[in-house]
Amino acid sequence: MRRQSALVALAVVSALALGALPGAFAGSTADPGITSTSIVLGGTSPLTGPAAAYASVARGAKAYFDSVNAKGGVAKRKLEYKIVDDAYNPAQSVQATRQLVEQDKVFAIFNSLGTEQNIAVREYLNQTKVPQLFVASGATTWGRDAVKYPWTIGFQPSYQAEGLVYGQYVSKTMKKAKIAVLLQNDDYGKDLLVGLKRGLARSGSKVVAAESYEVTAPDVQSQVAKLKSSGANVLAIFATPKFAIQAFVYANRLAWRPRIINNSVSGASNIMLLASEGGKNKSIEGAISLNFLKDPTDPKWKNDPGMKSYRSVMGKYAKGANVSDVYHVYGMAVAFETVSLFKRLGANPTRAGLLARARSITSPANPFLLPGIAVRTGKGDNFPIQQGQLQRWTKGKWAPFGGLWESDRL
Amino acid sequence: MNPNLTRVTGFVGFALLVVLVFLLPEWISTFRAQQFAYVGIYLIALLGLNILTGYTGQISLGHGAFMAIGGYTTALLMAGNEQFGQEGLLGIGGGMKDVWTIPIAGLVAGLFGLAFGLPALRLSGLYLALATFAIAVALPSVVKRFEEFSGGGSGVNLFGLPELTAGIIPVDIAGRELVFNDWLYYLCWSIALVLFGIAWLILRGRTGRAFRAVRDSETAAVSSGVSLAHYKTLAFGISAAYAGVAGSLFAIATTFVNPDTFPIALSIFLLVGVVVGGLGGLSGLVVGAIFIQFLPLWAQGEGVASRLPGFIVDRTKEPGAPAIIYGIVLILLMFFLPNGVGGLFRRAGQTLTRWRYSRSG
Repeated sequence: MRRQSALVALAVVSALALGALPGAFAGSTADPGITSTSIVLGGTSPLTGPAAAYASVARGAKAYFDSVNAKGGVAKRKLEYKIVDDAYNPAQSVQATRQLVEQDKVFAIFNSLGTEQNIAVREYLNQTKVPQLFVASGATTWGRDAVKYPWTIGFQPSYQAEGLVYGQYVSKTMKKAKIAVLLQNDDYGKDLLVGLKRGLARSGSKVVAAESYEVTAPDVQSQVAKLKSSGANVLAIFATPKFAIQAFVYANRLAWRPRIINNSVSGASNIMLLASEGGKNKSIEGAISLNFLKDPTDPKWKNDPGMKSYRSVMGKYAKGANVSDVYHVYGMAVAFETVSLFKRLGANPTRAGLLARARSITSPANPFLLPGIAVRTGKGDNFPIQQGQLQRWTKGKWAPFGGLWESDRL
Repeated sequence: MNPNLTRVTGFVGFALLVVLVFLLPEWISTFRAQQFAYVGIYLIALLGLNILTGYTGQISLGHGAFMAIGGYTTALLMAGNEQFGQEGLLGIGGGMKDVWTIPIAGLVAGLFGLAFGLPALRLSGLYLALATFAIAVALPSVVKRFEEFSGGGSGVNLFGLPELTAGIIPVDIAGRELVFNDWLYYLCWSIALVLFGIAWLILRGRTGRAFRAVRDSETAAVSSGVSLAHYKTLAFGISAAYAGVAGSLFAIATTFVNPDTFPIALSIFLLVGVVVGGLGGLSGLVVGAIFIQFLPLWAQGEGVASRLPGFIVDRTKEPGAPAIIYGIVLILLMFFLPNGVGGLFRRAGQTLTRWRYSRSG
């Protein structure tokens, strides 16, 4: 009896206290995050956790902003870019994004990385009318649901379009190919698979096996073994870098020599070099991948002005970072577009104005993207980059072949 | 130590905690209030885990999975799953107000806990830890497997639903306007404090004695007439129900669930929180919960850590540094506080009593 009454008393006390105390209130008139001297942007990035390799995307962007700030910024405003770690966990992305919006009062959320990480905050950002600018993910939903979420805009080519290119490439160049697919068990992996299947439609080739893994899994050894036993002669790796490297290594250990398609998120040269095990890996030779960035390890760009400025910015503003990491180039490419976006916004940028401008980009040349790749958006077009170049891994480096593939045309 | 004195200190301490909890939003920003709401949520999960691990001696490395069950119960009851194309038996229509889903989430997770407690009877020590770990590992795949029912990897979004008591529009409670974050804070902490009291009531009496007997020696417990089967499953059930409530609040606070919001790391963080807070005590768990919520942020040089000297803050910005700092702090804590913060509290209490009695005597 005593226990019960104590319980009731506890409940009553807390319930009373709940009602009796005042809460704070928030409210403001002008768009936050912008003053006459600064523009504050913020984004989440996996600085730790299973996808920590992607942290370079944010670091590259920050280095570029710092270099622009050193030259006086945009219209005398310095670009401040706050990066918060979410460990690639969507629940942490939500908390970190709220921190950026509510505490750090950013002007826009920019370059946050990951498909589910961005889906988790999309509703929140759209309802609070904070721009979700240049999402670092190629999920199809950024384009498909553009009308429902007008405050969200993507950057890289969509994963479905990329898968479509691989499918069309296979149906053009091979007869009756049997394709085995290793995919990450989320929207990103599935989008690529859907695109691949669409590209294969009405050809004699087909997907004979698909094995998925969880991003938190330690390795993909058993998946690769199963895929080999399917008797496929093409292996499509739709996996993030750590797992893509494992897939190459295990395929080689099993003496499996299929033609390998490696998705662009793991296509960086430094990742391929790791996967090639110092030249000992026999399976990797001839692997193909779609690319849209200039590769910092490619000697072809030695005297390219864009890559020269890349190296000098890295040397000055990202000391100690790995210059050959192509994700830094991605970061600079997206930062470059952001800077030119703000340049065209005029003296008094607003969030709504930023969005309107981001929907009407026609940027013919981004010095960090492959020549010929345009950055374009329009009404209902939420993917600024829609072109890519197929390349083949030959003798320790990428060799491009064929013309540009364009997802509009496909 | 004089048991009456302990009880009085306990009551005074708890009353102070209640007062502090309800005054805190006066001094902090509404964003901080949201962070402290998560502290309340972790506190609930830690209370439950400590009943199982600290008091009954059963290690669980899978409590994140019970939180996920609670979180998904709440999310599906609120949002429904018809949007994913599910009809018929498991086609949950949704439309339930968030606060009413909390007890249901606790109940559902509790039933899962009881069910898991039965096979767990055959396992002990490390084997049980591994079995529970397996649940946490398997859960994301299971959720994704039943995509039509659970929304798969894209998860369930709750932000902007009318079922959410507070969103962009502040909520009116007894004539006071509370913005979303403050509302979350009071909701989580009201429930956390009530559950704190309930845990104390469970543990102080016959049931708590039986739990401790099982922990200290199963053989001795059985020979004194304690039914192992009964108390172990009961501990699992209660513990999972606490985790379910925590998961439910986690879903409401995050306004989003997907399998990756309850990763394996969460289960491990919870165990870390219990150990830092002190196994077999309740008061230290508040510190354990603060530890789980804030240490990862401090390790990145955010919050109080940003007031440290510049050259230290700069170090935290380097790749990999936060994880290293986190590890070092954890090692130091275990080195200097082997019994957790609860152990420190107990030692401080004993010193105080001794000092008091030596003066008066």
